[in-house]
Amino acid sequence: MDNYQASRMREASRGRGLIPPCQVACPLHMEIGEYVDLVAQGKVMEALQVIREGNPFPSICAYVCTHPCEDACRRSQVDKSIAIRSLKRFAVEFGGDRMIQLEAETTQSEKVAVVGSGPAGLACAYYLRKLGYPVTIFEAYSELGGMLRVGIPQYRLPREVVDTEVQRLIHMGVEIKANTRVISLDLLFDMGYKAVFITVGAHQSLRMGIEGEESPGVIDGATFLREVNLGLKPSLGERVAVVGGGNVAMDAARAAVRLGANKVSILYRRSRAEMPAGPDEIEQALEEGVEATFLVAPTKVKRRNGHLSVTCVRMELGEPDAGGRRRPVPIEGSEFNREFDTLITAIGQAPQISEDFRLRIGKGSTIQVDPVTLTTNRTGVFAGGDAVTGPATVTQALASGRQAAFRINDYLRHRYPLVDKEAEETLSGELSPETIEMIRKIERLEPPLLPPEARTKEFKAVELIYNWEFAVDEARRCLRCGMGAEILFQDKCATCLTCLRVCPYHVPYLDDGGTIQIPADQCQACGICVTECPARAIALRKPYDRRHIDEELEHALKSAAESKSKPLIIGFCCQYGLFGTGALASLWREGKAGIWIVPVLCVAKLEEGHVLRPFEMGAEGVFIAGCGEQCSRENTAFWVLQRVERIRRALSQIGLEPERLQTFNLRATEGDTAEALDNFTERIGELCLASVIKQEVKS
Amino acid sequence: MIVAEQKPVEEIRRIIAPYERVLLLGCGTCVTVCGAGGEREVSFLNSVLRVAQAKGSNEIHSFWEYTVKRQCDFEFLDLLADKVNEVDAILSLGCGIGVQVVAERFPDIPVLPGVNTSFMGMAKEWGVWDERCAACGDCRLAETAGICPITRCTKGILNGPCAGTKNGKCEANKDMNCAWVLIYKRLERLQQLEKMRRYYPPRNFRVIPRPRRIVMKADVEPGEDNG
Ligand SMILES: Cc1cc2nc3c(=O)[nH]c(=O)nc-3n(C[C@H](O)[C@H](O)[C@H](O)COP(=O)(O)OP(=O)(O)OC[C@H]3O[C@@H](n4cnc5c(N)ncnc54)[C@H](O)[C@@H]3O)c2cc1C
Ligand code: SF4
Ligand code: SF4
Ligand code: SF4
Ligand code: SF4
Repeated sequence: MDNYQASRMREASRGRGLIPPCQVACPLHMEIGEYVDLVAQGKVMEALQVIREGNPFPSICAYVCTHPCEDACRRSQVDKSIAIRSLKRFAVEFGGDRMIQLEAETTQSEKVAVVGSGPAGLACAYYLRKLGYPVTIFEAYSELGGMLRVGIPQYRLPREVVDTEVQRLIHMGVEIKANTRVISLDLLFDMGYKAVFITVGAHQSLRMGIEGEESPGVIDGATFLREVNLGLKPSLGERVAVVGGGNVAMDAARAAVRLGANKVSILYRRSRAEMPAGPDEIEQALEEGVEATFLVAPTKVKRRNGHLSVTCVRMELGEPDAGGRRRPVPIEGSEFNREFDTLITAIGQAPQISEDFRLRIGKGSTIQVDPVTLTTNRTGVFAGGDAVTGPATVTQALASGRQAAFRINDYLRHRYPLVDKEAEETLSGELSPETIEMIRKIERLEPPLLPPEARTKEFKAVELIYNWEFAVDEARRCLRCGMGAEILFQDKCATCLTCLRVCPYHVPYLDDGGTIQIPADQCQACGICVTECPARAIALRKPYDRRHIDEELEHALKSAAESKSKPLIIGFCCQYGLFGTGALASLWREGKAGIWIVPVLCVAKLEEGHVLRPFEMGAEGVFIAGCGEQCSRENTAFWVLQRVERIRRALSQIGLEPERLQTFNLRATEGDTAEALDNFTERIGELCLASVIKQEVKS
Repeated sequence: MIVAEQKPVEEIRRIIAPYERVLLLGCGTCVTVCGAGGEREVSFLNSVLRVAQAKGSNEIHSFWEYTVKRQCDFEFLDLLADKVNEVDAILSLGCGIGVQVVAERFPDIPVLPGVNTSFMGMAKEWGVWDERCAACGDCRLAETAGICPITRCTKGILNGPCAGTKNGKCEANKDMNCAWVLIYKRLERLQQLEKMRRYYPPRNFRVIPRPRRIVMKADVEPGEDNG
């Protein structure tokens, strides 16, 4: 199935869903809710498929993405955000991403040159190949990946991951010219390239501008990390100072620890709260023994007897600057000296664009482009990534590479840019305190980390992967934002107030005009009101869950009819938490021939009709197995039991024994469920026999 | 609101037995609200009837389901006109009014009741309904603090409480509040206890002429002089 088809299918399955804030925050706009839900169902290969459609290199993002999605996640209003990046990592590892081979056919004749092989360049090449263009990547270094290779240290991104992605690109037919620094764009056009994408990154470290900065023993962070990453093992001495508070500073400090420095100190001119580095990075650096001194800045470096004497001044925080962070102000007379062997400066980088490119340069030495088309001042020359934005993130670079590929396609096809149709509605609005109160608090599960002692000796990956159980439980915490209930048929609504009364989260309300409203930003998509509404006026925005039950049920009934095994028993089992496919299916596989499992996306979504249908089709018994208290939604068992009672009443009125319908709690220890199921099967067998005898007596 | 209850399925099966093609007709108003005959209940009943048929009865029915907004007005029924020609009977899950209006609208087809129309009342909470009004045609709630003794007192007496009241409960049913104690307490709260001390002559419900009709429309004739 190609991407287009797959995304069509999902568009249909997403139905009228609103885009949740996690997806809005992701620079690639990945369908996070969708793949998190698939992980919650244990469908990790499907999850990976969704991930791969939105992201050319998920394995890389799974390690290093700064996960703006998690910062936007609405679950953080309840307790803590969903561990989205770690779940992606899980899906990538367990879904078999490594096995995936990609092919691409050349259908266009125009050659495109990509200058720079950072994430922006790689992504652009990937999508251009998918669009059928011949692509060449030019890279100044011997190896591809840009900052993925020469910036981010191995303990956060193992090299094999980058290698795999590069190999895949080569397999897709991307031509690679490593060790080739492009010095003139004219030359590229002379070589026959019809379009050029410039993504040379931001590799020039900013200078502190203080006396003694040129002394031996002072090195900038980007250069230091490049040397480390290229395996040069720079010698640092015992005491290392790192100036700066961003991710580069953290990585430099942690790399220094791994190179054997005894004492690594971070000098940062603001306080911890203002540090731009991710909280996890800071935490992990401190765990590894890195010391941090806040509100200090070096003012002078002097080399003396092979050591560095660094003069620092203490700072205090003054007025907020344009970016809203409080500006550090030196405290007069607070200077002091400290001795180090090496001083690493990591106070930021800027792009360095060759003048020969003849590109218009803007603020912070970045290339000026049109934000929509990514075109520069030169025809046929596009630019993106850090070279345009200044130091940013891998995902932003990937998004800009993807955007560039599509805009270059428009350009080469002489087409007005088809700007992404962003017509879809997004979900906005905070959760109300009343809703928050009703949502069960569930602890966020983190994947394990290597213990600090084991980390600092070498450059092994620090973060490990979830096991299945943890991943599934973590994914179940997702609130399914934007997928909730809506009154689809306002004209049918009798304003009976059932929805208002049954909703465990107090979401539906009567507006001043006496109309029932179900605010999308509060609904938890449990589906209880959908099934209870006596007018059938409500539908979930994502109709898939219900259709899924219909389809699975008909499929089971059909297979059962073909197999002719008796007595036929249909079991509706919660698909979340691995129950439908895991616990129960394994019981059933143990030779209980007549039992057919219909996985459902929460038993609360089962309607009476679903449960009665098997009886109509010849089933002798039906059971419903929910996940009990493990359900991340409220009151589901209560509503299932209400419906079960109604159905049992009806069964007995038509002369069927009510015990033909049973409920089980899958959370009970496996042995108990197995036993209960055994008893149930046995009982159904007896009932079956009894009714045969009764019929024979009659005739 | 009118409150009804679906008839037991055995009874429904007996009622529809002679008819092969049956339209299960829901009503989208009162009986939807009280969970007796809205779209959901129609579909539930349809499922149950199909199971019954599949599990070894000799009847072969075919069922259609449909729910109109309100059965008790002709205009809502117009869109059934074609369908009605294809069925042998209509099982109406509307209240008794609905059944009769459908019957009146479609004179050539049997219309059968699928619910027992029970009372006029309110939802106490989800899934619980209580009777409140007897449609006596001469409302006395002004004197009884907004609590109807005709409906809520087991004996329907107008000058209560009777000697059977005990701890605020009714002698006929220990779980039921005595309506007259409720009336007393509320009058006390409203400082209108004097209303308890009056005597209300008994009423003879038998003299209510049935069927009742209310005419709001005045007999007017627009003409040259007046409009
Ligand atoms: C230490 C460090 C840690 C980071 N950690 C993270 C992180 O955890 N998460 C995150 O999201 N982001 C992180 N980043 C940022 C991220 O790596 C960058 O934003 C991203 O790599 C930018 O991608 P790019 O393609 O624009 O440029 P780059 O990755 O910088 O790639 C540019 C490439 O162009 C090549 N090039 C330059 N000039 C020429 C030329 N003339 N001819 C040919 N090739 C040329 C360069 O050699 C380089 O390979 C980190 C950055 C650093 C430095
Ligand atoms: S709870 Fe789920 S859908 Fe909502 S923002 Fe978080 S990850 Fe996205
Ligand atoms: S449950 Fe259905 S009919 Fe009742 S108020 Fe809600 S939407 Fe309307
Ligand atoms: S009952 Fe469930 S689906 Fe319905 S409004 Fe409440 S949270 Fe949403
Ligand atoms: S037919 Fe009966 S149930 Fe339906 S709207 Fe009229 S009074 Fe209510």
